[in-house]
Amino acid sequence: MVHRSAEVAVAAIKQNFNLPELGIALLGAAMSLPCIMLDAQAETAPEKGTLSFKYLNYKERQQVTGQAGNSSGWTDSQSGASAYDDRVRVKATASSVLLPLNSDWSLSGTLVTDSVSGASPAYHTQALSGLKDFRRAMDTSLTRYLPNGKLALGLGYSGENDYISRAVSLLATQASEDKNTTWTAGVGFQRDLINPANQMVVGEKKRGADWLLGVTQVVSMNDIVQFNLGYYNGRGYFSDPYKIYDERPKRREHQTFQARWNHHFSELSGTSRLAYRYYTDTWGIRSHTLDTEWVQRLGSDWRITPQLRLYSQNAARFFVEVDPRIAPFPPSPLPNALHFSEDQRLSAFGAITLGLKVTRQLSLDTSMDVKVEQYGQKAAWKFTGAGSQGLAPFYARSIQVGFTHSF
Amino acid sequence: MASADTSLSVFRFPFKAMGSACEVVLAAHSEIEAQSQVQMAKTEVMRIERKYSRYISDSIVTKVNQNAGLAPVACDDETWALFQYASKLHAQSGGLFDITSGALRQAWNFKTAELPSSDKLEALRVKLGWQKVSLQNRQITLPIAGMEIDLGGFGKEYAADRAAQVLQGQGVTSGYVNLAGDMRFLGPKPSGEPWMIGIQDPRQTDQVIATLPMTSGGLATSGDYERYFELDGQRYCHVLNPLTGWPVKHWRTVSVTAPATVVAGCTSTMAMLMEEDGLAFLQATGFDFLAIDCKGKVYVRQ
Repeated sequence: MVHRSAEVAVAAIKQNFNLPELGIALLGAAMSLPCIMLDAQAETAPEKGTLSFKYLNYKERQQVTGQAGNSSGWTDSQSGASAYDDRVRVKATASSVLLPLNSDWSLSGTLVTDSVSGASPAYHTQALSGLKDFRRAMDTSLTRYLPNGKLALGLGYSGENDYISRAVSLLATQASEDKNTTWTAGVGFQRDLINPANQMVVGEKKRGADWLLGVTQVVSMNDIVQFNLGYYNGRGYFSDPYKIYDERPKRREHQTFQARWNHHFSELSGTSRLAYRYYTDTWGIRSHTLDTEWVQRLGSDWRITPQLRLYSQNAARFFVEVDPRIAPFPPSPLPNALHFSEDQRLSAFGAITLGLKVTRQLSLDTSMDVKVEQYGQKAAWKFTGAGSQGLAPFYARSIQVGFTHSF
Repeated sequence: MASADTSLSVFRFPFKAMGSACEVVLAAHSEIEAQSQVQMAKTEVMRIERKYSRYISDSIVTKVNQNAGLAPVACDDETWALFQYASKLHAQSGGLFDITSGALRQAWNFKTAELPSSDKLEALRVKLGWQKVSLQNRQITLPIAGMEIDLGGFGKEYAADRAAQVLQGQGVTSGYVNLAGDMRFLGPKPSGEPWMIGIQDPRQTDQVIATLPMTSGGLATSGDYERYFELDGQRYCHVLNPLTGWPVKHWRTVSVTAPATVVAGCTSTMAMLMEEDGLAFLQATGFDFLAIDCKGKVYVRQ
């Protein structure tokens, strides 16, 4: 048993301290000794500050299935001229700083600005309407480090022309004496104010609260598993004022269950990360997400992480399917329907994300990374069943460049 | 941090083991309680010394050395595990960390300032090399007469870890074990503050060059000042490179902290043996360290 606890401690160290491969190998060698226990130290406030900067470029496109409605203003979609239309484009920057205050406290903050432009459909995949927005978001969190855990208080604000969101959160973690088990509990509250440019509604509000419970368990020298349960309860205005025929329930609750398993292959200097997430909400959407990643170290400076994510969801109870008899025109909701939406995000579909991240350690204190992701969404990719018909496949690609420096 | 327990007092118990000054420091409610706990830890240190010292005539190491070139020697679980560990260290260090290096003492006598002839070193070469040792069916065979093994490279550190484990089993949560500078920590002072550990100046050994706050894990130091002689202004220390047969020169001292003392000790010794490459090696481990090179330049990561 003691021998096992030593093995477990190595994985704990791997988890908590992210020791490089050589450090892990040196600890691993000592594991063959009888009754050698390793001290996984309690997490303390970081000794160094960290500054990081990220730039994201995101671009959507969707097959043109026909022309309906009037493309307003400055979108330049041409009927039938091209197979694909550009949709939303986002250019975002995020700057973060983490400052240790002393051995017990740290302060962190992030500033995000993004500019969104392009067009999004007013219903299903049709009737593009132009959009242009600028968003500024900031959040800050104060962390108190305790002998076997930490407590973090977060405040967030996000503002764009038509949407203001404020959030507060509290997250606590507690590790067992041997550091092999870590419990996490969190609670967050959000208050949003919605004033769309088209004045469909004025001064609408949305309030939400979410709870998180999690446990992370080191199972062996090379394995860590994690389980999370999440619950969200929101009330207020959930509809999309820019879409036609969009009247959603004033209440939404969702529950999520997530399981993760990281396994380290010492002989390959690589780590596999598998995750499954189940989501269910009071709108009748159930979704499954399968996420796989392989983190490959190459030498001491390079890390290459290919990623594959599979996603599938069924449609919301009040999603109004495309009516092939009148397409591409929008079907009217049933006369007695209380709730309805023709937002393709509430349809039944499957999605595949392919990603590749390359990280280069430039020096002990500085690293750079580039991440490229390609996302595809199709009814036919739903795990079971045919998915919502009549919706054009949707694609997005994102490129992110990041830079991190400790000081 | 941990709440202060005012009913605890700190007791220090110096003792001699493995030919060096050792000490157990721990917090207890009474001296009697502390004494009984320390006794068990000392017993464990003595057990390891008796079993693995090459100076003790009936130790397993002596038995293995006496059977060099003659016969295999059967190993119990603990001994087998220590040899397996020695194999891993040998592989991880590219052959530099080698528990058969002790044969070089036949050429290097640090009592007189005298360099061995190259013929003598060449003749010893055949008796060196862990890769020549056979480990099969829980038996160790030194294939050549005159080969010898020596667990001095990590025996003290191993004993510090084991003694600390004994104390932890007794419920000690504040204190440390110090075996001639190789230390294992069992938790902070009763006040919750770390133990402040002085690192010896390698040239003025009564001076402290740095102080490290320690609460858990191990701390070990290798240096060129424990056994050495000087000749024509050059220092020849007891850390010998088994591949060249010569003492290392690049580092005056290397201190490392790691989750176990045995890991800290082997890391600091490997860094000494790697000479100029030791710095990159230390940085690549991710462990905290303090190293001073032959020009007196200090390198720290913490």
